[in-house]
Amino acid sequence: MFKVIQIIIQIGLLSLFYLVGDWMQSVFNLVVPGSVIGMLLLFLFLSTGILKTSWIEAGTTLIINNLAFFFIPVTVGVLEYYDIFAGKGILLVAITLGSTILVMTCGGLISQWLVVRGELKNE
Amino acid sequence: MSKFAIGIVAIVITIVVYFLAVKLHRKLDYPFTVPVLTSTVLIIILLLSFRIPYETYMVGGGWIEKLLGPAVVALAYPLYQQRETLKKLTAPILIGTSCGAIVGVSSGLLLAKWAGFEETIIYSLTPKSVTTPVAMAVTESLGGTTPLAAVFVMIAGIGGVLMSSAVFQLFRIKHPIGRGVGMGGASHAIGTASAMESSQLEGSVSTIAMIVSAVAVSLITPLLVSLYM
Repeated sequence: MFKVIQIIIQIGLLSLFYLVGDWMQSVFNLVVPGSVIGMLLLFLFLSTGILKTSWIEAGTTLIINNLAFFFIPVTVGVLEYYDIFAGKGILLVAITLGSTILVMTCGGLISQWLVVRGELKNE
Repeated sequence: MSKFAIGIVAIVITIVVYFLAVKLHRKLDYPFTVPVLTSTVLIIILLLSFRIPYETYMVGGGWIEKLLGPAVVALAYPLYQQRETLKKLTAPILIGTSCGAIVGVSSGLLLAKWAGFEETIIYSLTPKSVTTPVAMAVTESLGGTTPLAAVFVMIAGIGGVLMSSAVFQLFRIKHPIGRGVGMGGASHAIGTASAMESSQLEGSVSTIAMIVSAVAVSLITPLLVSLYM
């Protein structure tokens, strides 16, 4: 029972970061979603030691291990849009796959090149 | 049935379906058996066969959706856990992932625009390489359709994992750091799960790339949209 209460409080703490992030987004008129701002804030708090990992560990681990659960209700909403992939819509799948190959290649090659260059310098 | 009871039933069904999907994925470990895909398909089948409108399901589904924001915040913790790897490899990971993000958003936007799709569809496709909750947030702020965004994220994740060995071979991406950035940056959590099976380093790098990419895409997408559209 203690564990359950602990997790609920920790998820409450995460929600607080989310609300602050959302608030910052609207006050400063930022383009980054409030949830991402909240994430960066939490990372900052953890890195600087303001917040101990033990205060959020149980709640975040539960959420991260089951991340997919939280967006299932929204993904189910695709049933109202299935016709988009009919006919010409199949092109969207090709575009997504093509663009994914580009991201994978570009990110992979650039980081590999930087790492190998760095290793050569150190030798 | 009262609204509250409908909501509870919807949540219980989602939980049960999700746990079955996780079990199935443990037994049959393929990219296309990821729990989000099998759960979504199963719930859609349930709703269609019992003629339950999506709106009714969302009475409870909406409560789960409210936790999406805090779920994105939770991603700070795995990033924090990988901070030593991040410190050692700051430049390659950040530069590689950011370039990937720019290429991904630009190619998605331009290709879909040239193909003549409506703006709402283009904005749903654009953030496909980042983890679903962030992709949904980005799509929402652009005026796209969030469930569609989730579908494109799944295509990028599952497709990316299936194509990855061919892509890595073709372009000679051999280093675990390069592969980790490629997997996490292009195929988010589904790619990261696959990267973790290859090696610990590739998995760690992929975790970082996935989160850095989420931040990068949410930062650059509005700028690239105003540039291209």
